[in-house]
Formats: sequence, structure tokens, C-alpha cells
Amino acid sequence: MHELGIMFEVIKRVEAVAKQHQVDRVEKIVLQVGEIATVIPHFLRECYPVAVDRTDFVDTELVIEMIPANGCCRQCDIVYHLMKDEGRCPNCHQMNFDELSGREFSIKEIVVAEGGKNGSSPNY
Amino acid sequence: MDQVRIIEIKEGVFEQNNQKAQELRDSLKQEKVFLLNLMSAPGSGKTTTLVQTIKGLQDEMKIGIMEADIDSDVDARTIQQTGARVVQLHTGGMCHLDAEMTRQGIDALGREDLDLIVLENVGNLVCPAEFDTGSTKNAMILSVPEGDDKPLKYPLMFAVADVVLVNKMDVAEHFDFDLERFKDNVRLRNPEAIILPISARTGEGMEPWLDWLRQQIERQQ
Repeated sequence: MHELGIMFEVIKRVEAVAKQHQVDRVEKIVLQVGEIATVIPHFLRECYPVAVDRTDFVDTELVIEMIPANGCCRQCDIVYHLMKDEGRCPNCHQMNFDELSGREFSIKEIVVAEGGKNGSSPNY
Repeated sequence: MDQVRIIEIKEGVFEQNNQKAQELRDSLKQEKVFLLNLMSAPGSGKTTTLVQTIKGLQDEMKIGIMEADIDSDVDARTIQQTGARVVQLHTGGMCHLDAEMTRQGIDALGREDLDLIVLENVGNLVCPAEFDTGSTKNAMILSVPEGDDKPLKYPLMFAVADVVLVNKMDVAEHFDFDLERFKDNVRLRNPEAIILPISARTGEGMEPWLDWLRQQIERQQ
């Protein structure tokens, strides 16, 4: 549910960027998703075809890059991977940490092709 | 061959929401309206707690309630009987409210004469925690039958809560619920959280909760 609404927002933003740059065709949309972001890549991929239906991105590839979840223990000042041992610090075993990464969910970039095969003008 | 180039966007998808949430929070501060975002799992007693809260405070201040649900208006009808002003928001299948929906709800409610607005978020321990609504403070309710291990399973919800109400304390003896263990579990992720045991049904423990709200509302004035 959550992913579909979000995918529509992503497509809207990409549409605006494509229009602003007057691109011919968007080949790839590259998203970055953190390991502990509550958007699940699998569901983003499932929702993607619905979100791009009747847009200019029907043939655009969706690429998702994962970002590891790291935290820094407030007591021990150690950086560690939060996906292991329920996010407990390997030194003091507490879960008292500052999140450094892993909750990202961003549109990194779009890869665009210019000079369409038929010399067609931008669709946007 | 087509020429390929990359257009960097580098924008957080949630950033727009965070920005709208901050704008809403700032404007409410200026207008001296305190917005509480109340979150919990379905069936934990949000509406009952809200009814008791309204009863405890309505002689001292003007209160508006926003009921967010996927569908139906049963909660809004229950709240309406208290005499508080209420609007029902339908999320249309969405599992949470974002800042834009919250602002629209506040506009529908009318904020000018209100001291306290409570947003009763969609019953869900996951998604509502992820979206800043623009609230001044967040409260969440965990009811005893849900178990004392929930902070470990839904850490973000407990991390974003300023206050955690432990509801249904009147039936605690029938459940394997250890309040001290629960407090320890909350503090693992949120050492600053205020944890208040209550029973919305019997009224037990409501006074410290009402006092916390009074203090917060006073600060917003």
C-alpha cells in the first residue's frame, strides 16, 4: 500500500525533472534504498509497472541500489552494522546508537538517452 | 546510437514530506495550537483514551480531533458524542498520514480558536512512525495484551514517541506483561521517552497524562 503511493510520488518527481531537462527518453531511474528504510525493494519493483502505466516511462528500467545500515554506539563510539544481532553494539551489547545510514530512500539519478532513433522531438 | 547522459537528482523521497511537516509545525507554533499525533496498533484503545482525555481537559481548553482511518467513521461518531469538534479523514487505502494530509485535515477542522488538536493516526505500528505529520509531539499507546516485547519488534515507533501510554493496566494480572521489562525495552531505543501506565476504561493513571498535556499546551502558548 505504502510503496504504491510512494512510487507515484517518485514518478511525478522524475517526470518534472525530465521535463525541466527536456530529455527525449529516460532509460533508467536509479533509486537508493537503505537496509532499514521501511520501503521494501521487492514491493517497489512490484508497484513500479502500475506507477508507470500510461506514462512515458513504461519502458524505463528501475534500478535499486541498497545502502547498508550502520550505527554508532553512543557509549562506545564504535561504528557497526545494525543488521547483525538486532542492532546491538558488539562491545556493550546495548541498542543505544545514533543511526548513521540505512534509512535513506532517495532518487539518485536518471539515465537519459538523447537524439531519438527517428529524430522524434521530446515527448514531454 | 543514442547519446546517454546521467542527470543527478539526489533527493530524498521523504524530504519533501519532512519539509512540509516542519512548515506545519512552525505555523502551528505561531498560532499557539498544540498538535498531538497519537499512534498505536488497532485495538489498543486510542479512541477510548481520547474520549477520557477530552473529558479531562475540555473544561480548560478548546479541543479538535482528526480521526484518520482507511475507511468508516465509527471513531469520529464516538468522539462527536463528547462534544469536541471532529473531522474524519479517509486515507483511501494508505496505511499512514503524511504532512500534507494532516494540513488538509487541520484546514477542514479550522484551527483558529483551538488550543489542542489530536490526530488519531491509522492503527498501525509501522508506517505512521515513518512519516512526520508536522505534529508538535508524538504519543503512542501500547496496550497490555500486545505484550512487553513490542519495542523490540517495532523500534521506530518507540523511538519517535515522546510519550508511551501503557493502556489496559486494569487487566494486567491476566496477561504475562512485565511493566519493568517493557520500560527497559523502550529505553533501549528511546532513553528519553516518558512512560505512563493507564487504564482508559477505569480512568486509572489518567491524571499524569493530562498533566503532561497541560504542560505541553502551556509551552505552546
